[in-house]
Amino acid sequence: MTEFEFLGELSVLISLPKPENAVTIAVSSRVLFRTEKEQKVFEQKGIEEYLRYQVEHENEPFAPGPAFPFVKALETVNNRLRELYPDSEELFDIVLVTYNHAHVGIRLINTINYHNLFIERFCMTGGSSPIGYLKAWHTNLYLSADAEKVQEALAEGIAAATMFMPEKQIEVSETQLRVAFDGDAVLFSDESERIFKAHGLDKFFEHERENENRLLDHGPLKGFLEVLGKLQKKFYAKGHRMDCPIRTYLVTARSAASSGIRALKTLRAWGLEMDEALFLAGAPKGPMLEKIRPHIYFDDQMFHVEGAVEMGAIAAHVPYGIAQKYPHKKSTNAGK
Amino acid sequence: MEDKKNCTGPLMIALQYNDLFDLDSISTSTDTDALPKGRAFTFMKAVQTVNERLVEQNKSDCLLFEVILISKECSEEIKTKIVESVKHYGLEIGKFFFCKKEELINTLQSNKVKLFLSTERDDVYEALHTGIPAALLYDQADDHVFNQLTVIFSGDVIGFSEDSLDGLSEFGFSETQIETIKTAKICMKEFAVLIGQMRRRFGQENSPLCTCVLTSWGSRNVCASALKTLREWGLDVDEAFCLAGAPCSPILAVVKPHILWDGGLLNMS
Repeated sequence: MTEFEFLGELSVLISLPKPENAVTIAVSSRVLFRTEKEQKVFEQKGIEEYLRYQVEHENEPFAPGPAFPFVKALETVNNRLRELYPDSEELFDIVLVTYNHAHVGIRLINTINYHNLFIERFCMTGGSSPIGYLKAWHTNLYLSADAEKVQEALAEGIAAATMFMPEKQIEVSETQLRVAFDGDAVLFSDESERIFKAHGLDKFFEHERENENRLLDHGPLKGFLEVLGKLQKKFYAKGHRMDCPIRTYLVTARSAASSGIRALKTLRAWGLEMDEALFLAGAPKGPMLEKIRPHIYFDDQMFHVEGAVEMGAIAAHVPYGIAQKYPHKKSTNAGK
Repeated sequence: MEDKKNCTGPLMIALQYNDLFDLDSISTSTDTDALPKGRAFTFMKAVQTVNERLVEQNKSDCLLFEVILISKECSEEIKTKIVESVKHYGLEIGKFFFCKKEELINTLQSNKVKLFLSTERDDVYEALHTGIPAALLYDQADDHVFNQLTVIFSGDVIGFSEDSLDGLSEFGFSETQIETIKTAKICMKEFAVLIGQMRRRFGQENSPLCTCVLTSWGSRNVCASALKTLREWGLDVDEAFCLAGAPCSPILAVVKPHILWDGGLLNMS
């Protein structure tokens, strides 16, 4: 490295935000990149062989994984934010948090270099739990392939979701970050979900009508929507409402005419705007997601996540609430 | 297996007695038999665990840790108390050195310690400056698990090139600080080589020795450079952290190292 390159590197680092000021997104290596082959080696031959394999293939970069387009989109938003607010630390900060061993470190760094990602911060915990590190980094969102780790994070109050690799992938925007959320048990608590599961659809409608003016409690991803909203307002303040590089969507099985009202009132009371609210009244979510093409879609029900992934949409499972105990049955998915 | 034929041990580490025992709470301590435990206690226990596991694997292993205790300027009464307390707690201390403050560096040099550990930053940098390998004994707030010794190497010290280190003067680092960092790299090498040999005695899982690289200022490529260099020295670390300017304390609070090689970079803001 020449001195010029070195000084350049250091000045870049000095411009990285403090974790508490940034919107910190922690991603694991298995969702940022595709590591299925390596996973198989680990599962079939054990850790020593797995590490040997990784080191042998050190100079072969991994292919992009399910979180890759999302991370690229975050970088696009950062570039726009820096243009408008050059001194602000309110940026996305992407941290690689993996429980991989540091033996895989060189391959991971080579891969980051190959794909030209702006990731300078990472924790390779060598098998120890990543949860303590998530807190140390003031993580706003954690994406991983490991449902257990994600549940641990949720239990600690950190927004988290498990991601899956679609077989085919629909093209997503390179200029606008699109984030879609399910409502119940994602943005909102699972209280209404519980009524539905325990007492059925009619009881659910009754309950929502009776409680129309009582706000829903918050869910695990509410905080993340909030920070997105904060960044959006920064673009609006500089006249970029029409071409804002962040767009948010609500994709819910609730119906606009009835149960959806409570959801909207709650969002309004929270001071959160969603760019689009799509009330599907129980219709399948896949076609809508195909239209939206989100960089990430959060849902608490595996059924919906799998359906989305089948269509090529990038979906993430939030293992929160009652839906985890009672997996969805196709026949009961009537209009909500 | 060359390192089993040549005996490269023991790995001698020097501690100061005021780190091993807490002299500030003597007056409030109710135990009259021994001095109260100090900040180096979990370190001692972790080192003893590593030694036990090494001997378990190979009875004649000579690459073991050996800890010596250095005391600067204390009364005869305290000297006796120190030796008694060590026995009381069952600590494996190889040698005791009672010397004057000015003699500390000489004592370390003449005993060819492979590492001088102290919670006092100034003592550490003074030692490094004279070419004695020295690192911070990280102040453990709580009594956590003793069954693993955790060592952190500075990715900045190892990963930055010589030219780059000279360039640090543009960022407010003094000549002395830069020299200390360069010396730290040289000192780190011998220690890293020995730790590497020790680490290889154990498998990936259930190892009593955990080695890490922490890059505080350097970019990911500096960290990669540090990982490659350590590998050349015979040490494949278990954990790696790259902070790119983020504060270290929250991360260190999770890693909970015993030995922290930073060469003076970590307390920069």
